[in-house]
Amino acid sequence: MAARQRKPAGTRRDGRQDGRRGVAARARGLFDAFEHLVGGLGTALLALAGLLWLVLVALTCVIGLGLLLAPTVPRVVRSVAERERGRLSRWGPEIVGLGPAPAGVRAALADPAVRRELCWLLVHATLGLFLGLAALTLVVDAVQDITYPMWWRALPVQDPAPTMVFWDVHDDADAWAVALLGVGLAVCFLALGTGMARLQAWPGRRLLAPTADMDLSLRIAQLSATRAAALDAHAAELRRIERSLHDGAQNRLVAVTVLLGAARRALAQNRPGAEDMLERAQETAEQALAELRTVVRSILPPVLADRGLADALAGLAANCGVPCRVDVDALGRCAASIEATAYFVSAEALTNISRHSRARHATVTVRRAGGRLSLRIEDDGVGGADERHGSGLTGMRSRIEAHDGRLTLTSPPGGPTTLDVELPCGS
Amino acid sequence: MRIVIAEDDPLLREGVALLLRAESLDVVATTDSPDTFLAAVDAHRPDVAIVDVRMPPTHTAEGIAAAVEARRRQPGLAVLVLSAYVEQAFATELLAAGTDRLGYLLKERVGRVGEFLDALHRVAAGGTAIDPEVVAQLLTRTRSDSGLERLTARERDVLALMAEGLGNTAISERLFISGGAVHKHIRSIFAKLDLAPTDRADRRVTAVLRYLEETQRRG
Repeated sequence: MAARQRKPAGTRRDGRQDGRRGVAARARGLFDAFEHLVGGLGTALLALAGLLWLVLVALTCVIGLGLLLAPTVPRVVRSVAERERGRLSRWGPEIVGLGPAPAGVRAALADPAVRRELCWLLVHATLGLFLGLAALTLVVDAVQDITYPMWWRALPVQDPAPTMVFWDVHDDADAWAVALLGVGLAVCFLALGTGMARLQAWPGRRLLAPTADMDLSLRIAQLSATRAAALDAHAAELRRIERSLHDGAQNRLVAVTVLLGAARRALAQNRPGAEDMLERAQETAEQALAELRTVVRSILPPVLADRGLADALAGLAANCGVPCRVDVDALGRCAASIEATAYFVSAEALTNISRHSRARHATVTVRRAGGRLSLRIEDDGVGGADERHGSGLTGMRSRIEAHDGRLTLTSPPGGPTTLDVELPCGS
Repeated sequence: MRIVIAEDDPLLREGVALLLRAESLDVVATTDSPDTFLAAVDAHRPDVAIVDVRMPPTHTAEGIAAAVEARRRQPGLAVLVLSAYVEQAFATELLAAGTDRLGYLLKERVGRVGEFLDALHRVAAGGTAIDPEVVAQLLTRTRSDSGLERLTARERDVLALMAEGLGNTAISERLFISGGAVHKHIRSIFAKLDLAPTDRADRRVTAVLRYLEETQRRG
């Protein structure tokens, strides 16, 4: 599974068709295609294993053993298909996973999704495998042949020809001919590489993507789940505000009335101490105001509404316990709820960084690509952040998923920690 | 009068203690949790306990449970429950075992020192102090066919003050009417609501509160 997430070459920020940049983009595209083909080879091998298992189970059905093993087949097929879905989602349109396969052979066969997965298994285990092997052979042979003149003399004399070369190599001219063949192979891959990668992925994109009605029901299930999470997050937020108002400003104000009442009593009865009580009442009222300000800021910071996300984040970074750099590029304005979510996620993440990470530097990067806002918060701390411990990350996630966004946390022990958030900008 | 205070907010706890001590009342202990409060009640055997509803650990209604428990341990203990907001359900829970020696007030009433001290003394003397807010909630939530609409506006005022636990003299002072007028209004109210007439303030509170609770709208 070599495929890593990369920006597709077409969406790079700069539109200038500078020659050098064009070549770089092409080279990048070819490299990606090779990575995809090798990744596809991995899942194709898995698909082949799945196919062999299917055939084995079918054959042993004759002696009865296969009937016992049959229920494993849909599970095996589904797990291979889910791997391919994950792989394809990393470099193209997302293909939603389907979860566990139906229990029982009959239910599985009645499920159109399972039937489509079986078709895909057959195609990917043959065509996908062939394309992956062909690409690997092309590239390996091209490299071997092009470099051949440099090392052919080091080979034992009786077997001087590399693989796929049909003439004997006796002198430098023969060796250079091999190199020429290597160039030919490289040109072949240059011409065909991206097409092969696309062809290899095509059956998966067609057959593993949910059909329209299934897509809809999956989407509904996902929306119901995120909506419930949104309501939970909302209720938790209200509880937090209620608690901070009650424990803070409200109690302070009650204390003010108590102190004022006591002071008035003292004045009316000409007892000493009224001045002292009034002073304490005033101090307490000031505390109440400060606490109200804090609560208001935590609901929606005024700077966010007035000046936008960039300035609000700069303010956060300035108050962060760890030196923090903010890098915001051509952001424009997003929907208020999206900006607020991005702000609170950053605030929470920076709080976590100053509390737990022991980092020396943190970076907040915000970019806007098309309709999506991507937010990345990195630190060079000790890592080991875990979503299962501490409700902060869970709260962040439900807040983000409520907006149909995505959160990815990478925090190996020893660090560094990276939090990637993607949010739709809204209109 | 020996008083124990249970309030988790330190500023408020000290504020109330300061105010009561300035009035020459004997605050024997101030506590910040239900457990320390019950321990202080056992140790000092106070006349009155002033208890906050929201206390640790969950900050919901620990104070109510603590007050009920303190009265179980020391029958005859007068309890004045203070709350940042009044909830009639809390009042019902608190008053379930009778209304005498009980008070349930909003915290900010403490600032009206005169009325607060009246309520404190009333509760200590065996009476009742119910926050006007609770009474208002009860009055607005009663069914429309409950008989309350047969009362005149003045009679409703008198009913509300009765429900707060005020005696005839206090009612006449609040409404600037004579004691005889108060007496007449109360007789009329009891007749219109079909309640057995009584002059004892504590029994009146029970009767009126029970009446209001029973005639509440369902749902």
